[in-house]
Amino acid sequence: MKLERYELKAEKSLMVFEFVSEGPKGQIPKLVQFGETNLKDLYNLAFGDKDISTGEISDSVVSNNSDSDKVLATVVATVYAFTDRHPGVWVYATGSTMSRTRLYRMGLTKYLQEIMEDFDLYGQKKGEWELFEKGVEYEAFLVQRKND
Amino acid sequence: MKVKDLNKSKLPVVRIDNSLEKYKDKVLFKDKLDKANQMLKTIGLPKSRKQSG
Repeated sequence: MKLERYELKAEKSLMVFEFVSEGPKGQIPKLVQFGETNLKDLYNLAFGDKDISTGEISDSVVSNNSDSDKVLATVVATVYAFTDRHPGVWVYATGSTMSRTRLYRMGLTKYLQEIMEDFDLYGQKKGEWELFEKGVEYEAFLVQRKND
Repeated sequence: MKVKDLNKSKLPVVRIDNSLEKYKDKVLFKDKLDKANQMLKTIGLPKSRKQSG
């Protein structure tokens, strides 16, 4: 993915990442976490803003920092880093709202060819997983890094 | 090669920051994780999934 992205910091296990969004609203620190789910080797991808004054983290804040492509490209980069460190795992992702899920779908669609080179990508529709296809509304997404 | 150039590759340069260790064992997005677990309980993994490893 040739999109510009932010520089990343992480703790040693590469399960929590931080980067700083920069735009008209200023600098907004963001955290990305790959959280363990109840299914073995399946992690939930979530990210949100860190409030510098309170330390609280929220995935429902709409930053409007005019850098959504760069933010998404940075989050995708964390998936590469995480799956490189933890081979064989699955990563589940969905938006906190339908419109955010749609935004993620549009991002995946835009770079589908490149993503498919490196990942098996599924979309969730009506309670089932199916291979991701362009133009289909999905409720959630699931990826697994292909073996090199 | 500069870090900026290295960071253009698919695998990003990641700087280790020990101050982030405090988040490692915390669930930062509990609502989302709960929803994911609820969904995964019924849907599981894709039927055609490849075996990992």
